Amino acid sequence: MAQKPKVDPHVGRLGYLQALVTEFQETESQDAKEQVLANLANFAYDPNNYQYLRQLQVLDLFLDSLSEENETLVEFAIGGLCNLCPDRANKEHILQAGGIPLITNCLSSPNEETVLSAVTTLIYLGSAGPGCHPELTALPVVQCMLRFSLSTNTRLRNLAQIFLEDLCSPSQVAEARSRQAHSALGIPLPRTAAPEQC
Amino acid sequence: MASSSGELGGLFDHHVQREVCDTRAKYREGRRPRAVKVYTINLESRYLLIQGVPAVGAMKELVERFALYGAIEQYNALDEYPAEDFTEVYLIKFMNLRSASKRKDEQVSLEICFHVCYAPEFETPVLFLFPSFVLLSYKDHYMTKKKLVAEQKDTKDFIQDFHSEMSGFCAAALNASTGNSNPGLPYSCDLPLCYFSSKCTCSSREHVDRASNSSKDGGNHDQTVEHCYHSDSLQKIQVNTFKNSVTYSGIQKAITPSEAADRFMPRTTQLQERKRRREDDRKLETFLEASTSSNEVMIGPLLPDIPKVDMHDDSLNTTANLIRNKLKKVISCVPKPPEDKLKDVHTSPPFKQRRRI
Repeated sequence: MAQKPKVDPHVGRLGYLQALVTEFQETESQDAKEQVLANLANFAYDPNNYQYLRQLQVLDLFLDSLSEENETLVEFAIGGLCNLCPDRANKEHILQAGGIPLITNCLSSPNEETVLSAVTTLIYLGSAGPGCHPELTALPVVQCMLRFSLSTNTRLRNLAQIFLEDLCSPSQVAEARSRQAHSALGIPLPRTAAPEQC
Repeated sequence: MASSSGELGGLFDHHVQREVCDTRAKYREGRRPRAVKVYTINLESRYLLIQGVPAVGAMKELVERFALYGAIEQYNALDEYPAEDFTEVYLIKFMNLRSASKRKDEQVSLEICFHVCYAPEFETPVLFLFPSFVLLSYKDHYMTKKKLVAEQKDTKDFIQDFHSEMSGFCAAALNASTGNSNPGLPYSCDLPLCYFSSKCTCSSREHVDRASNSSKDGGNHDQTVEHCYHSDSLQKIQVNTFKNSVTYSGIQKAITPSEAADRFMPRTTQLQERKRRREDDRKLETFLEASTSSNEVMIGPLLPDIPKVDMHDDSLNTTANLIRNKLKKVISCVPKPPEDKLKDVHTSPPFKQRRRI
């Protein structure tokens, strides 16, 4: 692999990330947004970049992108959050910014990677132990994880099992199981508007 | 969610090679054209799936090439995996995650590109019975990332806490692959590993590659991401560049009777070898039968058999057997008594005593 010419990595990196964020905010091209968001999400994998990403408020950018209509943007945004989550400071920022409801909304996405990233993010957010944040182990979430733990998708099944075993108490799991039969959660809402009635 | 349409490379969405993006702004173009994709820890795995490998019997060379990046624990040819004509698909399991992450989408010495992707669906979760600190082989790389982040920020307290918890661990493992008919299979019910694989396994030597790579450049990371990582232990990160830390890890292969031994041998040659050996054995048997059924009077002690020495080589063994058989024939050859030639016009010409070798 060819080596890049030596540049002060910190100055260059911050400037580059700044350029990416600026482009994301200003561009109107969906393709460009996807490319830039993917770029940022991949940068979020490297712990060396955490401080720059916090400084540039990229965490908020990811959280805001979770509400996008474009499923690709949601996938990349939750992927970015998943990459950032192992860091304690990032975790606290996400929790304080009210990120949990936005992330749990991603659990009903039809995109496999979005759901996997969302489950992983929740696991990281709750890794301080059961009871650390009650929203994480709310009944609908636990029920959702119970359904995932029966999935034929190996990765999803494994992740759901980890969530149930590490974040949930046995009583929470038992309660979710007993109520599962009566819950309509998880049935996706129709995408198109209902036809107007004459 | 996962597509199992059976299309080429389409067994799982994340196995599919996406098209490279050619609409990037100039300032964020990388050195190589890449697809637009985000890599998270869910996509990473010690297992690499290599698709599009030309079926020229180069598995050994391929595995040796990959072994340069880290110790390989196991490798399989996935015969049942959908593949293009005249190509093969291989699954390689590295000892650790970092080795697998280094080897993606690169050319081999044959100057042929093929598609390399992670295969995280082959990972299995194994639980340690210590719920307050989750640690299991599947989860391990999640916690490795956490540990890495903590180390990089120099939080020694975290490391000390982790060590104290580690010492208290009960090492009983619980296989948590529920819903799977065969608990030994890491795969989901619909596609077990054995469905794909042929019988080729190996175990690696003990080397754990500690090399880490720094980020390639300040530019694009859309496809591959390189980071500083430590190995599964909690020792200090040894930061070496990719070039300096390439170490060759040998592969120790478990020899199965049906497979080639230490050397690669094409299947046709193997079949010919086996055929030749069978014929030799048959010849030897018929010869022995003939000799035991004859009414030859044995005088004196039996001469010791010529000791059979294994030459550790099929072709040499074959040659040695042939020579051995020849010697036996020559040694035991008895000249026929001369017959009356006038009486026997129609019989075959008189037996000529063979010259001793």
